[in-house]
Amino acid sequence: MTQLHEQEPPVVAAAEPDEKTAVPLKIEDWLTVIVMALLSLITFANVLVRYFTDQSFAWTEEFSVFLMIVLALVAGSASVARNRQIRIEYFADSGSEKRQRALARFGALMVFALFTLIAVLSVRVVWDDFRFGETSPGIGVPQWWYTIWLPVLSIAIAGRALGLFIRRGRQP
Amino acid sequence: MIPTLLFVAFVVMMLMGVPIGAALGLAGAACIALANSDAQWFGLLAVPQNFYAGLGKYPLLAIPMFVLVGSIFDRSGVALRLVNFAVAIVGRGPGMLPLVAIVVAMFLGGISGSGPANAAAVGAVMIAAMSRAGYPASFSASVVGAAAATDILIPPSVAFIVYSVLVPGASVPALFAAGMIPGILAGLALIVPTVWMARKHKMGALEATLPRPELWKSFVEATWGLAAPVLILGGMRAGWFTPTEAAVVAVFYGLFMGMVIYRTIKVRDLFVILRESGELSAVILLVVSLAGIFAFSLSTLGVIDPVTNAIVNSGLGEYGVLALLILMLITVGMFLDGVSIFLIFVPLLWPIVQYYKWDPVWFGVILTLKVALGQFTPPLAVNLMVSCRIAGVRMEETVRWVGWMLFSMFLVMLAVIAWPELALWLPRYLGY
Repeated sequence: MTQLHEQEPPVVAAAEPDEKTAVPLKIEDWLTVIVMALLSLITFANVLVRYFTDQSFAWTEEFSVFLMIVLALVAGSASVARNRQIRIEYFADSGSEKRQRALARFGALMVFALFTLIAVLSVRVVWDDFRFGETSPGIGVPQWWYTIWLPVLSIAIAGRALGLFIRRGRQP
Repeated sequence: MIPTLLFVAFVVMMLMGVPIGAALGLAGAACIALANSDAQWFGLLAVPQNFYAGLGKYPLLAIPMFVLVGSIFDRSGVALRLVNFAVAIVGRGPGMLPLVAIVVAMFLGGISGSGPANAAAVGAVMIAAMSRAGYPASFSASVVGAAAATDILIPPSVAFIVYSVLVPGASVPALFAAGMIPGILAGLALIVPTVWMARKHKMGALEATLPRPELWKSFVEATWGLAAPVLILGGMRAGWFTPTEAAVVAVFYGLFMGMVIYRTIKVRDLFVILRESGELSAVILLVVSLAGIFAFSLSTLGVIDPVTNAIVNSGLGEYGVLALLILMLITVGMFLDGVSIFLIFVPLLWPIVQYYKWDPVWFGVILTLKVALGQFTPPLAVNLMVSCRIAGVRMEETVRWVGWMLFSMFLVMLAVIAWPELALWLPRYLGY
């Protein structure tokens, strides 16, 4: 890399090596790949089945939506660790090194706060689903089978945000 | 008091570089808690409920699928073959390569659904080719960044899918059809200043000396790419598949083309393709779901009606309000990306749209045109970031070129405002 375009904010940061994290990012990466592959295969199978047999399996819709939610949270967790969330870089990525780092830490802390809040509150949602025996509208399985992943994965995102906060706090 | 807090907290956090989704979610949660200070758990149980409900919508599934399509076609080598074919048709002459870049970007827009993926695919081929022909790198980056902005207008388009989820009266097929003519007009509008600038500044003088690809051979090689939009758009039109299914059919078509026909994608590339498109989709989906919390707090606080009343009774008149909205969105668009703009502003603007009885599909096309302009308006221009990175230039250097392209595409937006039929004729003709 030359010094020519050092100020460009990273958008297609594919070539950049990942920062070292305490918990390997491979976990999220593999889950992301598996969920994306499953989503494509299920939807494609649905097209084929409907084409050949004139009927669709409705249960796939509910399961696909669930997989999409898992994708958003799992891959979202990796994107938090890699600091690739959509944000306004204009002010945060200019100014002194110290200011940039302080703002990056503040951003990570806010993500941590939000997902900790969602994790705590969603435990109550899961408990209600479990207590009242709610079943899913499509397949009729217990609703908590789906919602249980919301607190679990929210904690993962909060953890990634905390990791980013700590890493940005270290002296370079 | 609370609504003011909602906006101030949100704007301050955003300007400080807090991720948009987190700013939306936290501001929304804070206001729900303040408004329900006497309720159980401060009414905060609405936060996870809206987060989950904001995400659990089947039409949103089209987003990861179209992002995946873009990622696959980006690596399939189809852009290179389309470029060769286009050069074989138009020949070698001053200003022809920039023209080819725009046409190929529009064509890829008929396959992929997001601007930056398009800019990456076209930029990887065209920026090197244009530099060999003697075009300055800053000019090539401007052309590619601007041309890729037509992608979100030309169906399929991730922006239209998000808009459709937010606005009940606008179906995805109708929006896709409505974007077609404005998208093509936008592409044509870019070609005029581009070719004119190339000739005026005598750029690309070496172009005429480069070899011209053989027409028939390049056509055969490009056939697979040429057939892709026919399959995607034709399949949707014929009712074979829904937008989500069209995307997944395109995924497997693209994989077949890349892995079997052109042999540009290896099995181990699949991991990278799936991971990157999964992560990019998640970034979009998280903002979508967290915006659900923000929208919920807006609606429960009842701030939208007073604001709407103030705006419609301001004496500006219908077109005055529209002009004001566009001015505001252009300003916001310099800092925010398209999907975030939709998520924040569509719920706010919706009552105004209803008050003036604007057609929701037409309004969606106008908003998307606005967002397309924002994608190559410095300083926060997602497409230009991609193309500048490939060309190795700073975004400041593109300013002298993109100005005319922005102006030209802005005229297209004015045309669609003046003659709504430009957007609405095709969906009506197709019966959506």
